[in-house]
Amino acid sequence: MQFNTLFKKEMLENWRNKKWIWVPLVIIILSIMDPITSYYLPQIMESVGGMPEGTTFELPEFLPAEVVTMTLGQLSSLGVLIIVLMSMGTIAGERKSGVSELVLVKPVSYKNYILAKWSSLLVLVWFSLALGILVSWYYINLLFGELSIVALLQIIFFYGLWMTLVVSLTIFYNTVFRSSGLVAFLTILTIMTMSILTQIFGTYLAWSPNNLSSYIFEAVLTESIPSELIGTSIVTIILSVGLLIGSFYIFRTKELAN
Amino acid sequence: MEEINWALIAPLLVIQAILMIVALVDLVKARDTNGPKWLWLIIILFVTTIGPIIYFIFGRRNR
Repeated sequence: MQFNTLFKKEMLENWRNKKWIWVPLVIIILSIMDPITSYYLPQIMESVGGMPEGTTFELPEFLPAEVVTMTLGQLSSLGVLIIVLMSMGTIAGERKSGVSELVLVKPVSYKNYILAKWSSLLVLVWFSLALGILVSWYYINLLFGELSIVALLQIIFFYGLWMTLVVSLTIFYNTVFRSSGLVAFLTILTIMTMSILTQIFGTYLAWSPNNLSSYIFEAVLTESIPSELIGTSIVTIILSVGLLIGSFYIFRTKELAN
Repeated sequence: MEEINWALIAPLLVIQAILMIVALVDLVKARDTNGPKWLWLIIILFVTTIGPIIYFIFGRRNR
């Protein structure tokens, strides 16, 4: 009941500050940039010039699955950056400006407050992601070859888990620090550290969430779900829920200390 | 460049235009921004795609 009210407030707020317009649009741009540029690569090379007279540029043939990986790569770098920057102040900013105190002075539970923030962000991120990948899928079908609807749904679902982890991480740091810049910095740093660790200890960390994209590539290519993808998804979900529960406790102790 | 099929690129241009228009409307309506308004106007108008995005992230001030 209380959660519903808070959730509606968050959704309204994200609508008022235009996040519901610009985040989906930016994610769509990021998702279709690579399919379009790799399709027009020969023309782009030609118009940029610098090639000796008579050079013929061999067009690299991309498989649909490879273009999917390119799109996910773009979303994993710039997309993650946009999502982190978009959510860096969601709690930290409110605590700094004192808005959270106004909310929490009423009998609102800390848990519901954070849960409403988290879920409203997730709805926005999943919506944007689904839309972006849908448009990218359409372009890939048009330009590179067939990709089934099942593949589309798989990409959205499994990649959405990765973005869920990113959002959970941002929410977690939001409860720890009051500076939104620090929240963004530490979230990005954590993701980068995770990616480096995954690369170094690849054999031990086969289920690291950073591997989601490569398992999705495998799934699309072989048209089956590799068991690693299931394992990685479970790890990702557990980590996200763990971070969320951690946020409840940290936020409670921080607020009670004030 | 005649080989380029504009129907493929048109959606990209439309999205960029919507992004710019939404940012402009928001800027005009905003009572206050982080930093001078005229600077944001220039950034939104002349830095394609990235301009509106950084306005939404850094320029907007709530309430």
